[in-house]
Amino acid sequence: MQTAIAYRVTALFQIAITFIWVFILYALWDAAFLESGAIAGYTWDEMRTYILIAYGLNALVGWRVGGQMMGTIRTGEITRELTRPLNYRSTQVATAAGLSVIEGVIGLLLVVILGTLFFDVQPPDSVRAAILFVFAVLVGFLIKALCIFLVSLLCFWTLSSVGLMWAQQSVISILSGTLIPIAMMPDWLRLVAEVLPLRGIVSTPLQIYLGKSQGWDLVGLLALQVGWLAVLWVFSDWAWKAAFNAVEIQGG
Amino acid sequence: MRRNARLYLKLQLIQLRTAVEYRADFWIGILGASLMHGAGLVFVVALFGQINEIAGWSAWEVAILYGLALIPRGLTELFCDGPWTLRMMLNKGEFDRVLVRPVSPALQVVTMLASIHGVGQLTLGTVAFWLGASRSDLDWTWWKAAFFVAIVISSWIMLCAINFLVNLIGFWEPSAQSAIPTAYAMLIDFAKFPLDIYHNAIKVLITVVAPYAFISYFPALVLLDRETAWTWLGLASPLVTIVVVLLTSRLWKIGLNRYQGVGH
Repeated sequence: MQTAIAYRVTALFQIAITFIWVFILYALWDAAFLESGAIAGYTWDEMRTYILIAYGLNALVGWRVGGQMMGTIRTGEITRELTRPLNYRSTQVATAAGLSVIEGVIGLLLVVILGTLFFDVQPPDSVRAAILFVFAVLVGFLIKALCIFLVSLLCFWTLSSVGLMWAQQSVISILSGTLIPIAMMPDWLRLVAEVLPLRGIVSTPLQIYLGKSQGWDLVGLLALQVGWLAVLWVFSDWAWKAAFNAVEIQGG
Repeated sequence: MRRNARLYLKLQLIQLRTAVEYRADFWIGILGASLMHGAGLVFVVALFGQINEIAGWSAWEVAILYGLALIPRGLTELFCDGPWTLRMMLNKGEFDRVLVRPVSPALQVVTMLASIHGVGQLTLGTVAFWLGASRSDLDWTWWKAAFFVAIVISSWIMLCAINFLVNLIGFWEPSAQSAIPTAYAMLIDFAKFPLDIYHNAIKVLITVVAPYAFISYFPALVLLDRETAWTWLGLASPLVTIVVVLLTSRLWKIGLNRYQGVGH
């Protein structure tokens, strides 16, 4: 976490850059909603809220976490990590949590400032929705950290990590529902997005926040997330051991 | 001049060969860059699955804007990505080496890096433009074809100049960390959509502060025969490029004169 505070301005800017798309999306949907009152069950009020909070959530576990995980492997620093009597996957997730506190706070601040000044964001659907939203965000955070961890393992085979980072960020921004709510996706894409764990990062928390998901539907959504989390947790531990055994370390 | 051109080609070819040398990185780089811009296109597809047009622009017309923005971007990354190494060079004092060589510093900086993943953007942009142009009511005439070629070249030069321009900050602020250049370069994303939808502040931003609208929106107005008060600005695009280039070369000279090394 202290590493993260050291480069305050950089961190702020990196998050602000991703918010360029908040303005693009806002403008696009603003124009789109002029023609119709509701699109795929979303009103303009809900859509505004969705766009802004989605980017706030996606700013959690941003570039720096991935960059750091990949850097550890790329520079061979991983050997040092391995001498520690701790589970590598768990330490990486914990580091991610530390870094994310800062990114999260900055993202949250931006969301609150933009939300109150320009976006006229809606409050959560109910108190219960607010509590479940926080829970879903935490689960989503862990899922994202684990997914990035899994991708970072690919660094055992590549030299630079930039391409991987781009690929990962783009796939996440689509399949998590950050760019567009899952309900509005074309059928083929929606089927994929609904099954995969990435929806837990943005889409599921927001559906709860907006009260789009009630009763058994909500239970099902949360169960899916927790289930995926368990699977990823076990799988990532196995995967990194397998990856580590498979390849030699650069210059090692 | 001829010597410079020959040197440029030679150096750039070496950089491209280096990039291709690492197979896995090469493909992942292309994949990553294509996905990054492809994500935007997936979004456009999804958006127009819900609505028919946005502020009077159809999906295919937006594809034209996308293409016009991506093509020069890809070309720039392929052939003029070197300036992005400038700040690091200044920071580490490696720039001294550039200055003592008998080749123009600008040429050396340009050829410092060739980002092979520009191929991804170039392909994606070409496909988007081609699809958009063939499915919207764009009437091709010989002068429009010429205009299109001119615009691509002019946009390409403008983006190259902007690559220099944003990284010149290294002469004044020696930390290599600043995110301002990246932010400035990212503003081009605004130009992938029709200007009509934005708030006036954003319109001014991408017309005056970062003139990306002259790459996509204004030329597209000309290509699509839109009769608006601003269509003529599309024809003025090359002039804007000239202004940007002049400004950049002026600042480059000032920057060079300011440079004092890092104290070896």
